[in-house]
Amino acid sequence: MEKEERRWLLILVAVALVFNTVTLSPLVPWQTWLFWSSPTPTSEFRIRVDSSGFHLPAGGIVVKAGEPVKFIVTSEDVTYGFGVFRADGSLVFQIQVLPSYDNWIVWVFDQPGSYTIRSTEYSGPNHPYLVSPNAVRVVS
Amino acid sequence: MATSMTPEKLTLRYSVVSTVFLALAGIEGLLMRTQLLNIPILEPDHYYAMLTAHPIVGIYGWAYIAVMGAFYYLVPKLLDKQLYSIKLANVNMWTMVAGVLTAWASGFLFRFGALYTLYWPLPATFPPHSVATFAIGLFLVELSVLLFIFNITATVLKKGEKHLLPPSKALVSLLAASFGLGGVAKHLGSILARATVASSAPSTGEAGAASNDDPPLPVFVVAVMRGGIDAVINALVLAGASVLMLVFSLPALLAGITLNPLLVDPLVYKNVFWWGLDMIADGDVLIWVAGTLYLLAPLLTGRKLYAENVVRYVILADLVISMGVWSHHLLSDTPQPDLMRLVSGQFVTWGEFFTMGLSFFAALMTLWLARPVKLTMPMKFMLGGIFGFMLGGFSGLLQANVALNIVMHNTQWVPGFHIHQMILTGLGNVLFAVVYALLPMLTGTGLKSERLSNLHFWLWLIGSVGMAFSMGLSWTPGMLRRTLYPGTDIYLPYMASAMGFGIILALGYLAFLLNLIKTYGLKTLIGLFVPLGKTAS
Repeated sequence: MEKEERRWLLILVAVALVFNTVTLSPLVPWQTWLFWSSPTPTSEFRIRVDSSGFHLPAGGIVVKAGEPVKFIVTSEDVTYGFGVFRADGSLVFQIQVLPSYDNWIVWVFDQPGSYTIRSTEYSGPNHPYLVSPNAVRVVS
Repeated sequence: MATSMTPEKLTLRYSVVSTVFLALAGIEGLLMRTQLLNIPILEPDHYYAMLTAHPIVGIYGWAYIAVMGAFYYLVPKLLDKQLYSIKLANVNMWTMVAGVLTAWASGFLFRFGALYTLYWPLPATFPPHSVATFAIGLFLVELSVLLFIFNITATVLKKGEKHLLPPSKALVSLLAASFGLGGVAKHLGSILARATVASSAPSTGEAGAASNDDPPLPVFVVAVMRGGIDAVINALVLAGASVLMLVFSLPALLAGITLNPLLVDPLVYKNVFWWGLDMIADGDVLIWVAGTLYLLAPLLTGRKLYAENVVRYVILADLVISMGVWSHHLLSDTPQPDLMRLVSGQFVTWGEFFTMGLSFFAALMTLWLARPVKLTMPMKFMLGGIFGFMLGGFSGLLQANVALNIVMHNTQWVPGFHIHQMILTGLGNVLFAVVYALLPMLTGTGLKSERLSNLHFWLWLIGSVGMAFSMGLSWTPGMLRRTLYPGTDIYLPYMASAMGFGIILALGYLAFLLNLIKTYGLKTLIGLFVPLGKTAS
């Protein structure tokens, strides 16, 4: 291997190491609870989704900012997505909802407010309408 | 007609057909862009059917046919052999055309719209006749891929006139070289030889002698053969998916029997499906493009490829990587084991950063050491292609990250910054580089108008990068892919920008088409397929 090749390979290795280390570290806020610790959720919400939309728990979804909560989302027909969006439309997080499986995620909301749930996976032409506006209320 | 078919005519046929399919994919793209501007020119089910057909038309109809045509000319040429079967190559092309058009018709006529991802059991929710039609189309497409790989492999392995090895060694030697194992064998051989020299008397082992006699396969051919492994796996898995769709649709269609689609586990299916599908996205696209760069850089500069020995290892390493990256499509599937998501999904994907990084380095260093380099049209397109792959590849690494995927998966980031950047700017430019380099060899004359060629290059580059960025940036306010937003105007500026750049892209294509017609004449191009006048064959 020539000197230039070794140098270039070294640069590639350095970029890969730095990038993977940073994104695995708590510098990405949700890695704190998704990768480095498994906090016990203070509340748990079971949500079912089908072609007519999201079936939320009776009483709605109210969570406290800063506390870990668990969402368990299920489907009995096809694959959907479970995405939580801020009022400005930006995405907070999402997971896939595979049929016949418990699909779950633990999340810690940092900002109080109302959040919209939307299916993030295409499930047929009705897909754009699988939206529950202001379905999650985060209180301080 | 087949009897008068020359290798040049065969490749020109493939080029013309792929150019037609590129137009079809482009028209679909512009229609869908219009719909995303909330101008409802299509019913939603038609929009999603088009979205299903679009990648089939684009990837198989345009890119695959263009690649097959080029390889059918280049591989025999570089090996100084005849193509194993020109007749089979013709059957191969028409099978692909039939497959793509059948899959397209399943959407246009019957509204099959399970998307190219075909996440089970979604396909089973569409009318059985639409599912069966799509499945037959997909099966034909994959059959065509298998015919192509067979024909190319048979060409590489058949005995050539200048072949020096005895028949007993030829097959093993060529197979090893074809799959990039030649370099490893040579390396191991030299280690063994050093060990032998150190411990006893000098030895001239047969292995060493044999490797000296080996006709060294050009790295381009090694890359083509290596990509053949991915292509076969991809074809078998996708053909398997089409058989599965037939198993569930035909009983319903013929006997009214509905089988429970959840008999097939969606997670297992998704793993197998992506493993096979990624053999194109993370296998063939990358290794065949790398191989093409290994060919173009020396061809355009007249200089030996820089670090040729290293890229032979890269070709082999990429095989291992392409076999193991599929989990980056399942980073958001929480039932997928964490270790799989982290190792296969994230870490192995970074292997592509090394293989492609070294491949681009080899190509660019070849150009650098050959300075001053003339910026011919193939050279410009090649550099544009490397630029596109760098942009699209880096965005792919970001989304194939366990942490970042949570806010990127299924957003417009993926088709914008990654997919369209890779395919239109990266792959598109490399394919055009090959077309511009091959046309003089195939026809004896290059494209007539340099002005139109330059217009093609700049409009294509600006259009493809601009469209990809416009789409990708709509990720910031949360726009999802595969999603219509009727009555929502927050994303309209991004979509209007994407439409504008899409039109620029289309104008680039039209400049190329006009140049093609001006140079060769419409009659000549049509004459490649149908006899025109009494003297044509």
